[in-house]
Amino acid sequence: MLWLHLLVNGLVWGCALGMVAVSFSLVFATTKIFHVAHAAVYGLGGYLAWSALKHGMPEWAALLVGIVACAITGTLIQKLLYERLDRRGATHLVILIASLGLSAVMQNAVAAVYTSNVLQFGLPWAARTTAIGGVLLTTAQMLTVVAGILSYLGAMWFAHRTVLGKRMRAVASNPFLAEITRLQPRQVHIAVMAIASAMVAIPGVLVPLDLGLQPFGGVPILLTATIAMIAGGVGSISGAFLVAVGIAVLQNLSLLVIPGEWSIGITFGIFVIFMLFRPRGLFAG
Amino acid sequence: MDFFYTYIVLAEIYVLLGLSTNLLVGIVGIFSVSQAAVFGVGAYLTAFLVMQTSTPFLVAVLLSSILCIGLNILVTLPSLRVSGDYFVVTSFGIQLLATAVFTNWTGGTGGANGLPGVPAPWIAGHEFVEPSEFAVLATGGMALGCIAFWLIMRAPFGALLRAIREDELAVAALGKSVLRAKVSAAALAGAFAGSAGGLYASFLSFIDPSSFDLDASIFLLTMVVVGGARTLAGSVIGPFVLLALPQILALIDIPSSVAAAARQLIYGLLLIAFMLFRPQGLLGEKL
Repeated sequence: MLWLHLLVNGLVWGCALGMVAVSFSLVFATTKIFHVAHAAVYGLGGYLAWSALKHGMPEWAALLVGIVACAITGTLIQKLLYERLDRRGATHLVILIASLGLSAVMQNAVAAVYTSNVLQFGLPWAARTTAIGGVLLTTAQMLTVVAGILSYLGAMWFAHRTVLGKRMRAVASNPFLAEITRLQPRQVHIAVMAIASAMVAIPGVLVPLDLGLQPFGGVPILLTATIAMIAGGVGSISGAFLVAVGIAVLQNLSLLVIPGEWSIGITFGIFVIFMLFRPRGLFAG
Repeated sequence: MDFFYTYIVLAEIYVLLGLSTNLLVGIVGIFSVSQAAVFGVGAYLTAFLVMQTSTPFLVAVLLSSILCIGLNILVTLPSLRVSGDYFVVTSFGIQLLATAVFTNWTGGTGGANGLPGVPAPWIAGHEFVEPSEFAVLATGGMALGCIAFWLIMRAPFGALLRAIREDELAVAALGKSVLRAKVSAAALAGAFAGSAGGLYASFLSFIDPSSFDLDASIFLLTMVVVGGARTLAGSVIGPFVLLALPQILALIDIPSSVAAAARQLIYGLLLIAFMLFRPQGLLGEKL
C-alpha cells in the first residue's frame, strides 16, 4: 500500500505546488517578468504567520497576517522595483537580475532574523491524522487540498468572470493595445502582483505546518512550479495547476525506485531533457 | 602577508570565473545561474585526478578544462532552443542538479563533508605551497584568461557574439552561424570555469559543495554586475571589490550566526542597487 500512500501524498503536495504555479503564471503571463523573488514571498508568508502565532494570535488570524503581508509585499515589489525599472527602460535581463537580487535579500533577511534552522509550528491539531480510504492524512494536508482546489477555482473565476481578470488577460495578450485602450497596464500589473502574492502565501503557510519552515525552501518549490507552468503552457491556469499535480505525483511515486535526496535533481534533469526536445511545452502544437 | 596573498589568489581565480560568466551573460546575453556548477565540476575533477591517479597538476587542469568545455556546451545547449525565460529555469535546474550530485554522490565528492587533502600543485620540480608562490600561478592563469578574452573581443568573432545578443535573427540573415558562435562562446566559458576550478581546488586543498551552489552562482553574477558587464576591466575589478567586502564586514561586529546571511543579503542589495542606479556597473557597458 506504499504506492497508494505516495500517490495521495503526491496529490496533496500537488495542490500546494499548483497554487504556487498558478500564482506565478498570473504574474509571468501578465507582466512578462520572471519573478524569481516569488520564492521569497512564499517563504515570507510562512515566517510571518509563525511570528503572529507566537505572539498569541489565533490560527486563522495568523494565516490572514501571512496573506495580507505578502499581498502588500507584492504590491511594493511591483511599485518600487519592477515598475521603476520598467520606466527606466530596463531590459529583460536587468529586471531578472534585480529580481534575483531581491530574492537573495528577502531570503537572507529571513535567515538572519529567524536563523536558518528548521522552525516547527508545533500545532497539535494540524498534525492530527484522519484515515481516508486506508491512507492517513494530517489536518494540515487536508487543508492544503481544500485551499488548493478553492484557489484554482478562484483563479479561474477571477480571470474569466471579473472585470479586473479580463483586463489582466487583455494586458497579457497585448500590452500595447491595452495601453492605448486605457486599460492601464501598470495598475493591472500591481493588482496582479498583489493577488498572486496573496495566493502564494496560502501554501507558504500551509506546507510548513507539516514540514516546518526553512528560509531557502522556496527556491526548489518555485522552480518546480515554473516547470509546471511552462509544461502546461504559459498563461493557462488549468495547465499550470494540472501539470503541477502531475509532477508532484510523479515525484512522490519515484520514491518507490529512487532515494528521496535525488528526487529534485531528477525532476530538473527530466526538465532539461524535456526542454531540449520539446521546448514549447507539452500542450503546444 | 599570507592573508593578503590569499585574497589576491582567490580574487584572481574569481576573475577567471567572472570572465566565464561575463562571456555568457554580458556578451552573448545567455542568462546563466549555473556557472558555479561548471566551476565545481572542474574543481572536483582536478582533485580526483591529482589525488587518485597522481596526474601532474597542469595535465589535470587541462583535462578538467576539456571536460568543462564539453559540459558547458551541453548546459548551454538548451539556450539555442528555448528563449530567455525558459532557459532561466533550465539554468536554475542545472545548478540544483549539480548541487544534488555534489552533495549526494559521497563516493566521488565526499558529499556534504567535502573533499580534504588536495595536494598543492607540483610543476617542474617546484611545489607551490605558500599563497605567495601560488599567486604566481594564479596570476599566470588570470593573465592567460584576460589575454584570451581581450583578443576575442577585438576579433570579428567578438563582434559576432555581440551582434547575436542584439539581434539573433539579423545575424542569421547575414548568413552567420548563430549555433556555431554560441557553442564556441560556451566552450570558452567552460574552459575558463574549469581551469578556475582546478586552481581553486589545489589552492584551498579542501572543497565542499557550498562553494559551488546556487549562492555561489549568484555571487558570480554579482561580481560581473558590480564590476561591469561586457568589458574586460569590469570582470577584473568585480572580484577584487567583492572579495574585499567580507573582510570589511569582519571589521563590523556581526554575530557569526548571521554573518553568512548578511553577506548574501549585501550581494543581493548590490544586485538591486546596481540594476536600479547603475546597470553598467563600475567599469562596464549598459546591460
